[in-house]
Amino acid sequence: MSAVTEFLQQVVEGLGSGAVYASLALALVLIYRFTGIVNFAQGELAMLSTYVAWQLVASGMPFWLALPVTLAVSFAGGMLVERIVIRPVQGAPELTVVIVTVGLFIFVNALAGLIWSFTVKDFPQPFPDGGLDLAGVRVDWSTLGIIGVVAVVMGLLYLLFQHTAIGLTMRAVACNPASARLSGIRVGRVLMLGWGLAATVGAVSGVLVAPLLFLEPNMMGGVLIYAFAAATLGGFDSPVGAVVGGLFVGVAETLTGAYVDVVGADLKVGVPLVIILAVLLVRPQGLFGRAAVERA
Amino acid sequence: MSEPTTDRAESAEQRDFLQVTDLHAGYGQARVLQGLDFWVARGEVCAILGPNGAGKTTTLRALCGMVRGRGSITLNGTQLLGRSPEQAARLGVAHVPEGRGTFNELSVEENLRVGAHLRTGVGRRRRAERAAVAADLERIYGYFPKLRQRSRQAAGSLSGGEQQMLAIGRALMLRPSLLLLDEPSLGLAPLVTRELFEIVRAVNEEERTTVVVVEQNAQLALDIAHRAHVLEAGRLVLSGPAAQIREDGQVAEVYLGVSVSARKTG
Repeated sequence: MSAVTEFLQQVVEGLGSGAVYASLALALVLIYRFTGIVNFAQGELAMLSTYVAWQLVASGMPFWLALPVTLAVSFAGGMLVERIVIRPVQGAPELTVVIVTVGLFIFVNALAGLIWSFTVKDFPQPFPDGGLDLAGVRVDWSTLGIIGVVAVVMGLLYLLFQHTAIGLTMRAVACNPASARLSGIRVGRVLMLGWGLAATVGAVSGVLVAPLLFLEPNMMGGVLIYAFAAATLGGFDSPVGAVVGGLFVGVAETLTGAYVDVVGADLKVGVPLVIILAVLLVRPQGLFGRAAVERA
Repeated sequence: MSEPTTDRAESAEQRDFLQVTDLHAGYGQARVLQGLDFWVARGEVCAILGPNGAGKTTTLRALCGMVRGRGSITLNGTQLLGRSPEQAARLGVAHVPEGRGTFNELSVEENLRVGAHLRTGVGRRRRAERAAVAADLERIYGYFPKLRQRSRQAAGSLSGGEQQMLAIGRALMLRPSLLLLDEPSLGLAPLVTRELFEIVRAVNEEERTTVVVVEQNAQLALDIAHRAHVLEAGRLVLSGPAAQIREDGQVAEVYLGVSVSARKTG
């Protein structure tokens, strides 16, 4: 294998995991845009969704039927979380809200452990074995599948936000909730919808990553850190940035693991942290984010 | 400039259109309004004037549900007090807040469409309502040709005057029965302000939309108003036809700053 194909091979694998980070980052960005909250529990909610999918499959449902059911359950669950956990602290100081999401993190983690125990479970691989050979670069069906599913989700979100009436009201609320209210928009309902959507997008990342990682309650911890790096890199208020950031972080992770001997497989978890730090130092608003200045 | 007809409020039914009775309102401990009584007739422009801190903005905010209060505010017999802004909007109250409150990341046309989002309709009415919204969009572009030129541009990139036009346009997309304008002249050049007020006058005359406008610039507001109320320290100190208040030099000096013709800044 030549050096170039070897390099491209790493890039392809990076894009695969990057797609997973991108979808969790997108969930983070959605919530941040709507509520200004960084939801530390996003990964845990995705993990819970993944268990729901596992339970459905374990009880005999085919995966491709279990997936939409799981997404629907996640959507409802996300809305419920907004209504029950977040709404009461809406408008409270930022730190209060952060603590609430951290509390939610611990609660959901413990809940999953209580129901399904902390022993690892095998999650079925929904994509067939094998793959394509593109000029010496091997692209697994699973990698292609992950990228494909994430691309479909992004496309649907784009259509929702840019081409539907409800998407327009959602963007209005994200932009200026007070004015949205004055136009008669029921902001509370829109926020619930936003949390529901975020939970759904997050669930996609959990279900996609589970076959690669083994299913257990702490499964999403690492993914969440990569997602944070992706969202920071892309800009916390930019959905496009989340996707680009996710792919970049995924590729950066595999490349450093493969080429920088000091880092290797064990230390590559440090990559997202270095990215976060570098972005915050050089361009705090991220690549696609808006700097916090307003026209007077 | 044509003289506004001063008194349209002959019949009791018209006088009862907006009825404010013993209105108390404030923020937390700060009690701003100390018992206001006034009415606005259907189809008229009512100016609320007074020095800074008199409670003008608070009065408007109480009307649209942004501020809670005691007393009574009825619009066409329906109690407005105790309702949220979204409920007030659904009852036909369109409030253009101080500082405009446009959706800066949305395009001009999207801003206007948000204003019309309540008007959807189901089944057969859906198509009719869509056509009506499209017609209203044209109507608003007719009032504000600059908005048509910039319909695809992000609202945040507009000038202050254009943003104010957009905010008013968005409010009109609601087809409101009551339009509330809070300091529309704030931060705008005099020429732009005059243009804006002329448009408000045209809207009022052509659509019979009742308007309540809060303004520091008394001269401008009195030019388009039929009736005016002067507030001081949370109380009404003077009410009457706009022409009468405009001509009363002493009133102007005591309650509206040095002179009604001078632009009050700050």
